[in-house]
Amino acid sequence: MIEDIKIKKALLAVFFFFLSIMFAQRNIYHIPPANAQSGEDLVIKVSLLDIEKPIKGTLYYRSPKGESYLEIPFVDTGFNWEAKLPSFSLTEDGIEYLITFQFDNEKILSYPRVDPFNNPIFVRTVQEDNYFGEPLESDILILSPFPNANLNTDNPVIAVSFFNATEINRNSVELFLDGADMSSKYIFDGDILVYAAKGLRNGFHTVEIRLKDLDDQIIKPLIWSFSVKELVEKESNTISYFGNINSRLTAEKIVDSEINIAEFSGKFSLDAQWARLDNSIRISSKESIYNQPYNRLSSNLSFGRFLEVQIGDFFPQFTNLTIDGKRVRGLGLDVDFNWLRFQLINGELNRAVQRKSGINGAYDLIYDLTDNETDGTKTYYLDRTGFEFKRGIYGARLSTNLFNKVEFGAHLLKIRDDTTSVSREISDANFFVDSSIDGIISGNYNLNTFQTQLSLNNHNLFAPSSNWKGIKPQDNLIVGFNIGTFLDNRKIAIDFDWNLSLYNKDIWDGALSIAQLDTSIDNSLDGFIGRTYDENGDPIVSSSEISTDQIPFDPGRMKDIFIINTNMTPLIPIDYTIMKSSPLTAIINMPSSAFKFSIRGKYNRNNILLEYQQIGPEYISLANPFLRNNSRNITLQNRIGLLNQKVFLNIGFKHRDNKILDTVVNPLNTNTFFINATFLPGPGLPTFSYNYQSINKNNEKTNLDSVGSKIVDLREDSDATTSVLALTYPFNSGDVKNNITINYGNVINLDNFASKRNEAYFFAKTNSNILSFNLSSIFSSFLRTYVQFNRTSLEIPTFENDLFTKLPYTLTSLSFNINRKFLGEKLVSKSEASLLSSKGKNSSTLLGLRSGVDYYVREDLNLNLLAYFRFSHNKNPDENERKIDINASGITLTMFYKF
Amino acid sequence: MPIKIMVTCALLISSLFAQDQMAVSTKVFGNVEIIKKKGSSLKLKQGSILSIGDQIKTSRGSFAAIIFIDDRSILKIKENSILTINGQRKRGSISKEINLQGGTLRAQVTDQNRKNFIVESSVSVASVKGTDFWFISDNDNGQDFVHGLDGLIALTNKNSGISVDIEAGITGFSNIDGNLQTKKTDPKILPEDEIDSKSKINSIEIEFLDSTGKKKKLIINYR
Repeated sequence: MIEDIKIKKALLAVFFFFLSIMFAQRNIYHIPPANAQSGEDLVIKVSLLDIEKPIKGTLYYRSPKGESYLEIPFVDTGFNWEAKLPSFSLTEDGIEYLITFQFDNEKILSYPRVDPFNNPIFVRTVQEDNYFGEPLESDILILSPFPNANLNTDNPVIAVSFFNATEINRNSVELFLDGADMSSKYIFDGDILVYAAKGLRNGFHTVEIRLKDLDDQIIKPLIWSFSVKELVEKESNTISYFGNINSRLTAEKIVDSEINIAEFSGKFSLDAQWARLDNSIRISSKESIYNQPYNRLSSNLSFGRFLEVQIGDFFPQFTNLTIDGKRVRGLGLDVDFNWLRFQLINGELNRAVQRKSGINGAYDLIYDLTDNETDGTKTYYLDRTGFEFKRGIYGARLSTNLFNKVEFGAHLLKIRDDTTSVSREISDANFFVDSSIDGIISGNYNLNTFQTQLSLNNHNLFAPSSNWKGIKPQDNLIVGFNIGTFLDNRKIAIDFDWNLSLYNKDIWDGALSIAQLDTSIDNSLDGFIGRTYDENGDPIVSSSEISTDQIPFDPGRMKDIFIINTNMTPLIPIDYTIMKSSPLTAIINMPSSAFKFSIRGKYNRNNILLEYQQIGPEYISLANPFLRNNSRNITLQNRIGLLNQKVFLNIGFKHRDNKILDTVVNPLNTNTFFINATFLPGPGLPTFSYNYQSINKNNEKTNLDSVGSKIVDLREDSDATTSVLALTYPFNSGDVKNNITINYGNVINLDNFASKRNEAYFFAKTNSNILSFNLSSIFSSFLRTYVQFNRTSLEIPTFENDLFTKLPYTLTSLSFNINRKFLGEKLVSKSEASLLSSKGKNSSTLLGLRSGVDYYVREDLNLNLLAYFRFSHNKNPDENERKIDINASGITLTMFYKF
Repeated sequence: MPIKIMVTCALLISSLFAQDQMAVSTKVFGNVEIIKKKGSSLKLKQGSILSIGDQIKTSRGSFAAIIFIDDRSILKIKENSILTINGQRKRGSISKEINLQGGTLRAQVTDQNRKNFIVESSVSVASVKGTDFWFISDNDNGQDFVHGLDGLIALTNKNSGISVDIEAGITGFSNIDGNLQTKKTDPKILPEDEIDSKSKINSIEIEFLDSTGKKKKLIINYR
């Protein structure tokens, strides 16, 4: 699922500069949602204002506390592209996301357009019931019945102790039994709430205690269940099972390319109460031997909350700076006794890919490396290409939580590419040979046929068995620890996380031995590195020579742990010169270390975060490719609930730079100030939301640079200001329930050097202005409509006649959805008509029609059929012609069955 | 309205004594009496709140289980027992001192951190943390038996001052003469736990004569 982010970042960086020129007609049209609802999936919709079909679209998302992103592919729904953020990812901290679309020729378009991985979009999460806190298990003790207890009486005592719950407003406590309010019947005497229930029927019962804190803020209710006798005995002997099956068939034609996808997914769980087995599977026709796996297969066996065994595809997490949700295929073990936890990972991050599809997918004939032999023959060099090594991962982490006050953990992560996982010979892989080889006809050959032809013409072939060009096998070792504590009755949390990485970017030649070290600088195997000799064979005295006896260990013996050779970075993890004068500075600034220190405070209505994070320029975790190394980050943030939780403010400041090493002369500084205000007056009332973000970037350069004879302007000092205002207003007109959402926002970029620059300077940042209007109406439980209007105005920087200018570009869309239920509620028809118009240098109009039905055959079986057409109307002023085409069409059939 | 006023007053008055609360009864069989510190006597019911100094008396065939409000430690009191719950409320915990004047109890102590749970008879003191044990005090004969079920109990004879550690599967014997001995627990002598014994089988025996005058017995087992 996750590919190497370094490649993506590099591509983004390279294409960013050319974006405005090359992608003048490509734009992502997206309006971020005003907020997300906790506990519900969040659908992110994107429209592409480009006729060209992207190869794929990806939604990257993470918690604002996280370092790495998870990925979800966008699905083309005919008019929009949609990706669904799962509800479990929407925590109270909100969510950050960004969007990328990849086109042919490795062109990438992103949203936000500028530095998206470091400026993701933040969306605040609104709690369903605006709970401000969660009672700690240790604060409120359930005395009776214990959760999941099996009772043999129908008159149980419900008792809860508030002995340790000093922050609870005891007058606010309400008791519900099976949904019925028992608040008038319980006795709350001092620290104890007691309710003597009478005559409960056999079966399961649920107790809910609702409460508020001393500030009268609602706290998440305490809910637990118990069961009464006979049913329990019956149930306890039962193994239950449940799951679902989902099948999807899609046939699409977009411009001239056809896409047909079949996908099957399913979940199956067995629950024996004391143990549970969860299995999931996804099989897709998109699976290909030429890429990393798209299919997924996993089993999760859990015994209570103490032991969890994961087999197949799983997503382990140690810490943010090591592995944080990247897919692993293999075995995972998690033994958790609450005060002591052990996690183990053993598997592979990447599987071996032998070749890419098509001609030249496995071999590349390098003509420049042809050797002319003395006998007149030639030796041709055939290199291996298109492969990916199997990347194995092994990790272990031991952590402890002492007295709920001190947390400590230590971890080790080892990742290595397996050079034996890729075969040199791929018999059916063809490569192209041009006409430059004497006696051989130009055409496609495989290894055998090419070798035969060369032999017939008295030529030779050299196909190396290792050290292929292209991707190099790598090795990575990470060790680290984290420590944390809680203070002031868990209101303050302090955490420190430190890691050190060793990284070898090319392990083709394996580990160095002592003998190889001996001859690494000089050619004499004499027990000294760097010793030279005069004409008489006597050693020339030098202070730089090192005796091999001084090397504390043989690097060759370490090869099972980490391969040490000249390709490792850093060669020496610590700067010994600085170590002598300032040991602490030397340790903190180790280029291959990464650490994070944070203090979180939760007082009354404030959630305060102060965090410092530093990732050294040579810190690498192959299990977390989203880490941005060579960066220092300082974050100060506060989330406040005001006016009885009706107003939420999220305000903060972030500073980032790359000035870890003293050698950095012109660090790139990024200062971000943000404020998000949400006003939620209550159910049925309008809500307001305002987001403001200001990003200043500067590289401390004040003068122009010269490259050769040219003067170049590399100064950076720019401000990007984003503000979005959202209003949601629910109202009724007769029996019709309506909800209007209006969004207005803009992005303004300012070059603070504008007055001092040359007129031809290209300031490649796009200003935009967004207005959207949505109206959803519920006429009855059988009829719903949804109208959406959006307009985005862009000012795209470009060059015209060698002068920098900004091209206006306006995108307008209008869509109308109608959902109607028939046959009771068995059949739901869904229809959409949409119009998207773009006006700029090139203008086009897209008309989309989409229609489908959901048929609920039974409560547990649902069939869905969806078809769409998209027509394009293009007008090119240069060619002065108009064209109407069926731009795209498709049909999707889905079946869902749950049991 | 007067009822509401009375209830409010009762709650206000009871809140004045709130600082003495220690436990709540969760299971009561038969006739169990509670004698409050000030001398009043009440019948112990499920859900009764127990305070420092309360004495509990179980009659023949009765049983009571109480749970402490700070850490969910449980005390199960068998028939013919008399005990007083004493202790001191501190911030975050209650140190508990159970004075067993006679009878049988089972203590299931959850607090792993502090030795703040003591069971004391006229002969012995059992000081525990995070453990499970039976304490049988035979007051008539001046002897105590402590059966360790889990964890570790420090058992001290008050007369001799001798102290031993009782582990799971070990029985400590302490008497008025100052003796203190340990031996392996005989599972057959362990008291029956009324709550844990889900599988306890009760039986009804009916005797009758057959046609030849021979005595026959019909036994009906039930749970």
